[in-house]
Amino acid sequence: MRITQNMMAGVFMRNMHKQTAAMLQRQEQVASQKRINRPSDDPIGIGRVLTGRSLLAAIDQYAENIAQGKTRIETTDQTLTMAGDLVRQARRIAEEKSGEEISAAERELAAGHIKEIYDQVMQLANSQHAGRYMFGGHEVDRPPFTRDDDYTASYNGDAGSFRIPIAEQVEVGIDADGRNFFMDATAGGVDIFAELKNLIDGLEETDLAVGSAAIRAAVDPLQNAEVQIRNKRSELAPKLYRMQATGEHWANFKVRVQDAIGRDEDADVVRAALELTQLKTAYETSMAAAAKIIQPSLADFLR
Amino acid sequence: MTHLFGLLQIGTSALLSQQRAVNVTGHNIANVNTPGYSRQRVGMETTTPAESPVGTIGFGVRTTIVERVYDRFLGVQLNQENANLGRWEAQQGTLDRVEVVFDETSGYGLNQALSEFWSGWQDLAMNPSGGVERAVLAGAGQNLADTIRREYADLERIRTDTDASLAAGVAEINRLTASIADLNQKILRIEAGGTDIANDYRDRRDLALKELSALIDIQSFEDSAGRAVVSVGSGRTLVESGNHYELAVRPNATTGRAELMWPDVGGGWTDISGEVRAGKIGGWLDVRDGKIADYMSQLDELARNLISEVNALHAAGAGAEGTTGIDFFSGSGAADMAVDAAILADVNTIAAAAAGAPAGDGSNALLIAGLQTAATMSGVSFEAAANALVSGVGNDVREAKAYAGHQSDMLAYLENYRESVSGVSLDEEMVNLIKYQAAYNAAAKMITMAQDMLDSLLNMKR
Repeated sequence: MRITQNMMAGVFMRNMHKQTAAMLQRQEQVASQKRINRPSDDPIGIGRVLTGRSLLAAIDQYAENIAQGKTRIETTDQTLTMAGDLVRQARRIAEEKSGEEISAAERELAAGHIKEIYDQVMQLANSQHAGRYMFGGHEVDRPPFTRDDDYTASYNGDAGSFRIPIAEQVEVGIDADGRNFFMDATAGGVDIFAELKNLIDGLEETDLAVGSAAIRAAVDPLQNAEVQIRNKRSELAPKLYRMQATGEHWANFKVRVQDAIGRDEDADVVRAALELTQLKTAYETSMAAAAKIIQPSLADFLR
Repeated sequence: MTHLFGLLQIGTSALLSQQRAVNVTGHNIANVNTPGYSRQRVGMETTTPAESPVGTIGFGVRTTIVERVYDRFLGVQLNQENANLGRWEAQQGTLDRVEVVFDETSGYGLNQALSEFWSGWQDLAMNPSGGVERAVLAGAGQNLADTIRREYADLERIRTDTDASLAAGVAEINRLTASIADLNQKILRIEAGGTDIANDYRDRRDLALKELSALIDIQSFEDSAGRAVVSVGSGRTLVESGNHYELAVRPNATTGRAELMWPDVGGGWTDISGEVRAGKIGGWLDVRDGKIADYMSQLDELARNLISEVNALHAAGAGAEGTTGIDFFSGSGAADMAVDAAILADVNTIAAAAAGAPAGDGSNALLIAGLQTAATMSGVSFEAAANALVSGVGNDVREAKAYAGHQSDMLAYLENYRESVSGVSLDEEMVNLIKYQAAYNAAAKMITMAQDMLDSLLNMKR
């Protein structure tokens, strides 16, 4: 085969371009720490990376929902505990002041105490979480419970519940209908406000015998109310557990998804750096060889 | 029949022939870096010898022909591979720009915009009366619509730019065909006598044919008079003897896209866009009407389904103030997708609640958030369809790169082979130069000697 100077120059140039292109790619990998710097670097890999990223975004959102749901449940639980304590306090007063020997003045004092308890329970029933009323169903922007001067309570909310998406097509619903907590919405339920009002009425009754009967009559329902509140609290526990478990699942899963994305996307920097060194050596060698081969010509040796 | 003047004749013929050979060698050296140049050789033969009683006696040397050294079959193959290289290079160049449009590796793309959009609906579902959540969701919707619109417009601009490339490519084709026709005439004039070969003109014509084949896949052959006949597609003539037919680029009446037109015999124009398979023109047409059009229709389908699915649920729900029947997105596809003006004017019209439910209900927002994983795009989710589009673009770029690389290697191999046959080797020419110079010097010496002999002869008379 005849070899001309142009062939030698051409071969050197082509290989030099190939070598520099390969070096540039490794250099980009080292600099960006990423193996995939554009979709064509690995079309299948980028598909997996993007799917993983969508999943990560969804996981973050679910985790955020769960965190919000957990504080909501914890706040609800706290509120209910306080309400239960108040109801117990009211029951004790009813038990203590039901005797006919209790004077009117003493009853008057107790009535004032129950009125305070009534308002405190109502205040708890109107609690807010993140600026929204917790016991008004979907009516989150106005206090769900109000009373008139006669201590007759009314509910202004609806039957809506607070729904928390914790996974794809999976929701946890937290009861937000205040009537289920504080009124007799369900069969056998106790209207706490009505019972407290009965107690107040009984304590304020001028006929002490009639009053005592009314006070005694309030004891059992108030005990039931306590049970009602406790039952609602125990309803929350499995939900909290479920959210916690799902939250932990997401936390674990997130790490695995991140790992998978990393495997596809992240550059093996050590390997890239090593390859870069190898390529550099090859590049320098071919330049040195070219410098020796391209330069000499017959003209150098004539005469 | 030998005489002293015969010696002078031999010397003269040698001087002239060696000088001509030095001339050609010099021409070779001068053109060592000229693209398309084939090295030339002087043919030499003995002149007609004279009969003499002792046998035939030679009368020197004469040059027969100056011919180029080349492989006549290599040209056709080179042109074919060059056309394929042009096609993949054009595709790669255009697709590289498409890939930038779908740059998802940095995390700011369609994938991100979709994720943020669905997250916005979930946040709103958790707090349906929240003003901040509504504003954020409207923003995420705008970002999503903007991203789709921007990508669609970018693709459209690349197609328009491809139209401009086509026009420039056709202008180049016309310049090359004109020059081939002109060279045809020059070659005919030189070779008309039947003895000379138009080496340099033929080299230039071969080069023009090679450049032409990088632009468009041509068929070419030489007619009996040595003129190149060039045609494209299904036998559409571009060059015939001294005439060339100028291609043109005309916008299509319905699509407005540039189409490649060939001048009819009747003075009309024939659309030959569909006949071009290779060369840069073929690559541009292929990527413009095939691949990019396909990406755009995928993007458009994504936008259309997003608009219709989200709007169907949204219109059925109720806003914070009970408004119903409002669309979330306006527009009919990727080109004009936007968040509805009513929503931008008042984010309270975002229908988070089921119809008739109070402001705190987030069930409709939950339904819309559920679209994230719903199989709304012929069996897959929106995100999966968007990711598949990006993957597809990456795959096409990779394919074009691989083919262009392979084609370029193939061409390099053929060009190396051509260089091996036709290329100028400076060392070889240098050796020739010395060889011819030595012969020239010796011939000159011989003439001096013949002159001395003549002088001696003439001096005898005195």
